[in-house]
Amino acid sequence: MAVNSKLRSAFLWRMLVKALTVRKGRAAIAVASIMVGAAVVFALTSLYLDISRKMSEELRAYGANFFVGPAASSPDRRFDLAAYRRIVASVPEEKLAGASPFLYGVVRLDLGNAVLAGVDFTGLKAISPYWQPEGGWITVDFDERNCIVGRGLADKMELTVGKTVTVFNRDKTFRTELRVKGIVETGEAADEQMFVNMSLAKKIFGTGGRIDLAMLSVVAEGTEADALAARINTQFPEVEAKPIRKISQSDGRILDKIEGFMALVAAIILVITTLCVNAILSAMVVERTPEIGLQKALGADDRAIVLQFLAETVLICLVGVALGLVVGFALAQVLGQTVFSAWVSLRPLVVPLTVGISLVAAIAAAVIPIRSAIGVVPARVLKGE
Amino acid sequence: MDKRIDFDTAAMFASDYSRTSKPVIETDGLTKQFGTVAALDDVDICIREGEFVAIMGPSGSGKTTLLNILSCLDTPSAGTYRLDGLDVSTLTEPERAVIRREKIGLVFQQFHLIPYLTALENVMLAQHYHSVADADEAMEILQSVGLSARASHLPSQLSGGEQQRVCIARALVNEPAIILADEPTGNLDEENEKLIIELLQRLHEDGRTIALVTHNPEMGALADRTIRLRHGKLDG
Ligand SMILES: Nc1ncnc2c1ncn2[C@@H]1O[C@H](COP(=O)(O)OP(=O)(O)OP(=O)(O)O)[C@@H](O)[C@H]1O
Ligand SMILES: [Mg+2]
Repeated sequence: MAVNSKLRSAFLWRMLVKALTVRKGRAAIAVASIMVGAAVVFALTSLYLDISRKMSEELRAYGANFFVGPAASSPDRRFDLAAYRRIVASVPEEKLAGASPFLYGVVRLDLGNAVLAGVDFTGLKAISPYWQPEGGWITVDFDERNCIVGRGLADKMELTVGKTVTVFNRDKTFRTELRVKGIVETGEAADEQMFVNMSLAKKIFGTGGRIDLAMLSVVAEGTEADALAARINTQFPEVEAKPIRKISQSDGRILDKIEGFMALVAAIILVITTLCVNAILSAMVVERTPEIGLQKALGADDRAIVLQFLAETVLICLVGVALGLVVGFALAQVLGQTVFSAWVSLRPLVVPLTVGISLVAAIAAAVIPIRSAIGVVPARVLKGE
Repeated sequence: MDKRIDFDTAAMFASDYSRTSKPVIETDGLTKQFGTVAALDDVDICIREGEFVAIMGPSGSGKTTLLNILSCLDTPSAGTYRLDGLDVSTLTEPERAVIRREKIGLVFQQFHLIPYLTALENVMLAQHYHSVADADEAMEILQSVGLSARASHLPSQLSGGEQQRVCIARALVNEPAIILADEPTGNLDEENEKLIIELLQRLHEDGRTIALVTHNPEMGALADRTIRLRHGKLDG
């Protein structure tokens, strides 16, 4: 029985290939239609699945999107650095783009008072990718000899890169000399501040392990950010965490619109593909009416006829999809580069998804032609003349 | 060739069949109505195993209509039809498809070969729908109709006579209970017609049951007996 069915499918396959080869032109158009449909589905799905990530990467370029401050009940309006460390550790690694604690205080410089912030330079660099310090970043953790100075403050204090500045705390109980490693222009309050390592700031201000706030850059889509804030607030009652909303909300709205638009385009292209394949298959069936009549006269039942045309449709579809995947990948890159200036990476899920959707479209296209093939009346078509 | 003697021999055989063989085809009151036209009107026929029957009659007399019903391509409006002991007049289309592939071998005036399949593959197609395509067996049948050298040719590369022989090979390959041929030489020249007639004759001698629609009295004379139709009724 198994051998029989194998031989049967071997003959069916042979017939099928010959039937399609003899109609190369039509088959090629059908393949091309499926290819276009599959390519668009593939490209748009790739973008869709990749776009959120790409968008939030874009978003992160605009800075931190998550703020952690002390709870209202905090007596000194500060919270523990240790709590900050635990909060950071509780965010999944792949969701966390960067984070830095901030400890602010006033210091005396040679020419006057200034605001000094203790930070984590590695984290600060990650959450402020648009900071481009003249002179360079401080790259070594626990570096207590260098500082970064905002442009406005540097001008006021007559500081330039490489110069040394003497820093006292308010009551002059602590004194240190710092080299200006970089000068940064941000257009924000940071322009009037200077930045040193957290370890040094702790010594200057003598606040123990307390910090004023923390900024995080988190990959969070939609309600994820709210959920994260809620979790942190329950888990760490000493702090108050909240997403910085302004950017992410409008970003979400644009994202929704783009995604909806892509789904619409994909649906329209799929409908056109289906109609096109339907027209070609219908023409094939009409052309082959005598052939179908003969097959029925030889004893082919409806099942055999359906199987034959379905197999042809699936074969056309698979060839089309194979080409469509290649074209679609290229199309995804073009769209990715044009819209997001980024390469779209291949998500494995997209391949079976494209194949599945294309098969559904092709089989939907085959329903009417196959019905008319089944409807062929052999006695009528074999009369010939 | 003395046709007189041939005819007598055939007649003798005919009487023989009526006594000894079982009926392959039996119709009772077979009627086919196309709107107001009665293409067949109360036709009772019986064809026995091994018989070679010619069906003759003027154009429009219902020969093709009869053959279509006998080959289970069409259903009668009234009357019964028993094929190989089974009442097939009430079968559904899928059931008739089974009967077609199991019991019937069809030979057409227009051959109806599939143009993109070779002679061999056209024969194998009948095997495919019957059970399973078997190239060796199909080749044997082609050989028996004298076409083994043409097995890999496409229909377009064959003469009309050769195409008709492929068609006959296709009709034979599943060992049907009866071979039904509708004007098989209608599209052939005299020489090829002769070849086909000889082939049918040989099949008859091999014991096959054959019903043949023809306009050609010479061919009719080769049959064991002739069924005549006129305006859809049996004539005489
Ligand atoms: N599908 C049909 N619809 C309506 N009328 C039909 C149909 N098929 C056959 N007829 C009519 O039935 C009658 C018998 O037709 P049929 O084809 O059986 O004749 P025939 O004996 O085979 O003729 P010929 O020798 O020309 O082939 C004719 O009057 C024909 O017009
Ligand atoms: Mg006719």
